[in-house]
Amino acid sequence: MNRIVVTSLCLFVMAAASRSLAQTKPDSLSGVERLEGDWVRIDPNGSGDFGGLASTFTVASLTPQGNAAMEGGQRQAAAPRGPAFTESSRHDSGVPYIVVSRPCAAGPFGGGALGINPDSGGIHFVVHKNEIIFAPERGGFRHIYMDGRKHPDLTRWTPTASGHSIGRIENGELVVDTIGITPGLVTAGGWRSVETRLTERFVVSPDGKHLTIHYRWEDPAIYQKPHEYQYEFDRSPEGSYALEYWCDASDPAEQQSVTPPSQ
Amino acid sequence: MVTRATVILAAITALGGVTAAWAQSPVVSGARSASSAAAARDISGFWALSVDSRKVPQAKLLPRVTKAMLDLHARQDVHAIRWCNPIGLPMMMDSGAIDIRQGPTTIFMAPESSLVPRYVYLNRKHVSADIYDRSTSGDSVGSWEGDTLVVDTIGFHPTHGVTSIPGGGFRTDKTHLVERYRLVEGGEVLSVRFTWTDPMVFSAPHTYEFRYRRLPPTYEAVSMWPCDPYNEERAQFLGDPAPFKAGKR
Repeated sequence: MNRIVVTSLCLFVMAAASRSLAQTKPDSLSGVERLEGDWVRIDPNGSGDFGGLASTFTVASLTPQGNAAMEGGQRQAAAPRGPAFTESSRHDSGVPYIVVSRPCAAGPFGGGALGINPDSGGIHFVVHKNEIIFAPERGGFRHIYMDGRKHPDLTRWTPTASGHSIGRIENGELVVDTIGITPGLVTAGGWRSVETRLTERFVVSPDGKHLTIHYRWEDPAIYQKPHEYQYEFDRSPEGSYALEYWCDASDPAEQQSVTPPSQ
Repeated sequence: MVTRATVILAAITALGGVTAAWAQSPVVSGARSASSAAAARDISGFWALSVDSRKVPQAKLLPRVTKAMLDLHARQDVHAIRWCNPIGLPMMMDSGAIDIRQGPTTIFMAPESSLVPRYVYLNRKHVSADIYDRSTSGDSVGSWEGDTLVVDTIGFHPTHGVTSIPGGGFRTDKTHLVERYRLVEGGEVLSVRFTWTDPMVFSAPHTYEFRYRRLPPTYEAVSMWPCDPYNEERAQFLGDPAPFKAGKR
């Protein structure tokens, strides 16, 4: 009887150790390879604009400290940056006008920020056993380390637009843990600091044509409860390729709207 | 007298024989060679050039390529850097550490000095020129020839980015680049032979070699510093102080 108990305990410990090892440093990326390729964010509810895309998301439940930081960030984002930053007067249809005074101000979007919050540009994944690349088409890229390393000590880390990301595989799905992002606004009324933890779960549909990214932001100083939402993507058609994002700050035409809207 | 030493020696010999036999068994050596073959066909890692990494001969240029043309491209290169444009090939392969990641269908190359990466597709031919949107890095497709990755690139933009080529000359929309990637020195060094051809620029194929050293596996990628095209002091330093011209062209 005792021998059975001991044997069972040993098997249990071995299984737990095996499971722990598999979750920290996978020997196989089985299932996650399906993430590789090109994806485009979609508008599943037909909202028609970027504001509408997040209109069905639950608004973040912020602490007083988080709320103050978020409102400060909103004021900063809305503040004019240089003369004639935004031209908001009426214009005849078809007549180009200045919409931004300093286009491409930081070159392409720095450091993979659009990998944290993808927009209409394509996104691209390259899957290697030690690192997964998440590259938004409009500039920058995220390094998602799969080699078992830990996050760096944040006191020795310079915050970046995409932070420090480590990944693991759970049930054939990629789960990415990120900290060390530069402070800024988060979708649906959220805010993030360097300490804020973002957990993303990448779920590819069984037919491989659809991707859902689940976002979960956690920070007791900012959120009363985890802030969660999800983005939806379709796989780009076969033969697609990554376009090069070109924004030439020396070209005054970059200031103008491409297609002036009807008035 | 059978000494204890003799017994130990016999045991060591027997163990050595077993070990050698194990290593030479078809199953094990097959698995090991398959593993090493797979490793030889994976150039993933962080790589960096050092002072002894470049072997670049002088390019043989056509008589039509004048000094004035070379000077024009040099000025365009400064302009591209000054305005924080994507630099593209060949300069992106010659600046800072490069993260190369090889997936099942694509190889991704991300130099730390550029926010615009490069993709090498392993599963297709070149995109039709009718629909390809020319770029600073062109359209790259790769395939393995033994332990060598051969990357074929066309579709370069003639003026975008930094166009000058090490050793002389510049890229145009007719330029063809073939790169041969091979791991040497036990996988610690990545040899890349670049061969440029262009009927408008070179009188003979222009080949040079870079050797990248593998950085430690614990290396942490460094994000590119923000490039500010509106920093006038930086523009003065680069010798292209032309200020931004607001309004219509």
